[in-house]
Amino acid sequence: MASPIIDASGIVKDYGAARALHGVSLQIGTGEFVALVGPSGCGKTTLLKILAGFEEPTDGRLEIQGKDMRGVPAASRPTRMVFQKLALFPHKTVAENIGFSLKLQKVSKTETDSRIRTMLDLMHLKPDYLERYPAQLSGGEQQRVALARALVSQPSVLLLDEPMSALDAKLKKSLQAELKKLHRELGTSFVLVTHDLEEAMMLADRICVMRSGHVVQVGTPADIYYRPANMFVAGFIGETNFLPVTATAATDGGMAVTSPLVVSGKTTIASEHVSPSLSAKGTALLVRPETIRFVKGDAAPGEWLLDGHVEEYFIKGASTQYRIRVQGLDAAVIMDLPGSIVLPAAVGEAVRIGFDPVQAFLLSE
Amino acid sequence: MSQRMRNALVDTTLVGSVVLLLIFFYAPIATLVAFSFTSSRVLTLPIESFSLQWYGELFNKPDFFPAVLNSATVAAVSTIFATVLGTAGAVAWIRYRFRLQGAFRGLTFAPLLFPQLLLGVVMLLWFSVLGSWLGFSTGLVTVIIGHVVYITPFALVVVAVQVYGFDETLEDAARDAGASGWEVFREITFPLLWPGIFSAVIFSFLLSWGNFYVSYSLAGTARTLPIFVYSGIAVGSSPIYPALATVNLVPALLLVIVAEVLRRRALKRQTSGISTS
Amino acid sequence: MRIESKSWNDPVLVATVAPLAVVMVAFFLVPLLMTAVLTFQTTQYYRLVWTWDLKIWTEVFSKPHYWTIMLRTVTMALICVVLTVLIAFPVAYALATRLKTFKTQIQILIIFAFLTDAVLKTFGWILILDKNGVANWLLMHLGFPPEMLNLLFTPTGTMIGMVYNLVAYPIFTIYLSLVRIDRDLVLAAYDAGASRFRTFFEVTLPLSRPGLYSGAVLVFVLSLGAFLEPKVLGGGTSPLASELIRQSFETRVNWPLGAALTMVLITTGALMLAACAAFALRRTATTRRPA
Repeated sequence: MASPIIDASGIVKDYGAARALHGVSLQIGTGEFVALVGPSGCGKTTLLKILAGFEEPTDGRLEIQGKDMRGVPAASRPTRMVFQKLALFPHKTVAENIGFSLKLQKVSKTETDSRIRTMLDLMHLKPDYLERYPAQLSGGEQQRVALARALVSQPSVLLLDEPMSALDAKLKKSLQAELKKLHRELGTSFVLVTHDLEEAMMLADRICVMRSGHVVQVGTPADIYYRPANMFVAGFIGETNFLPVTATAATDGGMAVTSPLVVSGKTTIASEHVSPSLSAKGTALLVRPETIRFVKGDAAPGEWLLDGHVEEYFIKGASTQYRIRVQGLDAAVIMDLPGSIVLPAAVGEAVRIGFDPVQAFLLSE
Repeated sequence: MSQRMRNALVDTTLVGSVVLLLIFFYAPIATLVAFSFTSSRVLTLPIESFSLQWYGELFNKPDFFPAVLNSATVAAVSTIFATVLGTAGAVAWIRYRFRLQGAFRGLTFAPLLFPQLLLGVVMLLWFSVLGSWLGFSTGLVTVIIGHVVYITPFALVVVAVQVYGFDETLEDAARDAGASGWEVFREITFPLLWPGIFSAVIFSFLLSWGNFYVSYSLAGTARTLPIFVYSGIAVGSSPIYPALATVNLVPALLLVIVAEVLRRRALKRQTSGISTS
Repeated sequence: MRIESKSWNDPVLVATVAPLAVVMVAFFLVPLLMTAVLTFQTTQYYRLVWTWDLKIWTEVFSKPHYWTIMLRTVTMALICVVLTVLIAFPVAYALATRLKTFKTQIQILIIFAFLTDAVLKTFGWILILDKNGVANWLLMHLGFPPEMLNLLFTPTGTMIGMVYNLVAYPIFTIYLSLVRIDRDLVLAAYDAGASRFRTFFEVTLPLSRPGLYSGAVLVFVLSLGAFLEPKVLGGGTSPLASELIRQSFETRVNWPLGAALTMVLITTGALMLAACAAFALRRTATTRRPA
């Protein structure tokens, strides 16, 4: 990154005796869309509030546009925030809400009006909404007003605190698409906090996965999905399978892996399919549900096979999910098959399943 | 008895209880208003003929207007103090945590649990002792102090309800938009607490205006309207008091109507949805 | 709700808390302590003498006259509590669960009557309860014998006035605790097969206890100080404690005596308050809601 717009290093935040952030470092580039994800309590919202200036870090250094932000109040930072529950002022009209920051900056009336108009167009809001109050708008419209209010002062960084968590699924999808488009058009840096990794993958250029006050992994959506740092990151993205294995270093830099559960085989995993933060603790192969197939007849060359029986299946429409109980594994193996009117196996049926270990990813806890 | 009949009976009883209560509440008030228009000197039914003569007599009483003026002064000044102190107190009650907060809460709530007469007597003793030391006697100033002590807890409770429902992220949002501490207060905090503060103003004014006990104890030789009435009816009923009661209702009624209109207007724009998703 | 912890070094805290605290200490707490101090003084020729003795307390405890009146005051207060709660509950319940359309209007009517000058309202009751008053006139025209009721200048007249002036308090407190009850709890009881009556006694009534208790306590302590009603509607025939206190100030100019009687009354109210609080705390400790 040439010159990051946000440079946070070693950020620590204590609330009394409890430590919310343990020395978090993160750089965000100009015009980049970064998502902070993690389960609740991981510190993602705390980090966002520190960026916005609502919280002072206990320790560490935060620079925005090369300037130290220590003691700089939220009002004087080049950031604007879209709040989780939107925080639209209920006693102000849509126009007053959007124009609020311009009024504080004493921007002239004509300039204010034209910038509000621009925002309305950008957010596809009808001009006759201007005199309405927030309570008179639908959830999606309120969302757009909140975005317009934050963007009207042309911030360098837009901070979004789970702004879509309260919306229904369909509305969420359409707003996600709009947000992505908006980001491309404006060139503003976006920082999105979300607990929904799927949303983060759809929208962000880079994802920062956090867990109990630590950054676990920062990377592109592809990195996070295909090369997760550990089982936590891999499991966070959705249901997946971890097959415990024993791994030993192979001659070519890869890892030789074996598993007693597998019907046959020992495979060498290439180094690019091995997590860089591999440790000895709980080494496992990450096998994505969509890479597993039912094996009826001969196995493919190099394919690993497991025997079990069908515990349950779920028809999801585009795909059908099977859960296979395998002797010796704690969790059922999950497999996603393309949806089909003909079901390949019935509940209780003994089945053999297989996957290509070369495509799997080696990681640890 | 069938379930349906039983339910209907319950509903009727409940609604009936409200109607009976309102009749109970308004019986003396309605009686006063009715008798204010009689032409007779004896206040008994039936009212033979109507006249406005008692209003004239009331306005010609030399000590009537001074009492009105005293009541208005006391009510206006106490309302300002009670509302300001009550609002600050409500914020401290609900939004802050601090050392000795329990003591603060107890101290500011206790007057609500005091019979007004005792509150007045206790303060009278203090002012008398203090007065004999410092050389002053009770009067309108001590009445105002008494009213402030008595009314502030009411104002505090009324505003506290509003503070309790306050969403502080709105203040964060204003700060994020570039507002300074004072601008946040002016643009967000105050307008959003205003409905509660406004109710507190009305409550305080009417409580002070109609207060008898505290004023009676602390007024010394000064007379507010309720004392004026009390000293009159203690001697015997006179037809000017129904007229006074009727006159007295008008400003209160106006105040309540204005408050209700404002409240509705605010409610309409802040909660009603024209379009919903 | 975000709670801010504030230290006393913070000028914002001092500015919000200090003025009110100073007013309450100077004009409520200190006067209260002063009242206690005054009970140990005496008067001579209508002048206060600083002596520090128990003369007043011996007088208070040795005269049965005072205790008769105290007992009457407490009895009247208890009757008043029972009557006001019995009236207030159905009204509050109706406001909370029925009457959706006119709810605000009725609330305003109740508050308006509550805030109207008590002396004038009490005078209105004279006109109603008088032998030749509105009540008897209406009864006569309904076919009852003339001058059937004779309530003015009786303890019943006093009680009508006390209930009238205090019933709004339990209406407010009971209403507030009723509207806070989660509607789903009531539906859950119906769902479990409880009838409406059963649900009321098993769910609604127990959950409205905080409002019932606080309303009852409020009425009790406030009726201990009733003065206008026994004076104007009771005609002074059976005086209550407040009249005794007033006499010791105005007629006898005996401040220490008035202070002592005031302290007795305040202590009675405080004891009742403490007993009720202890009882309520024990109840809530056993019926604490799941978090």
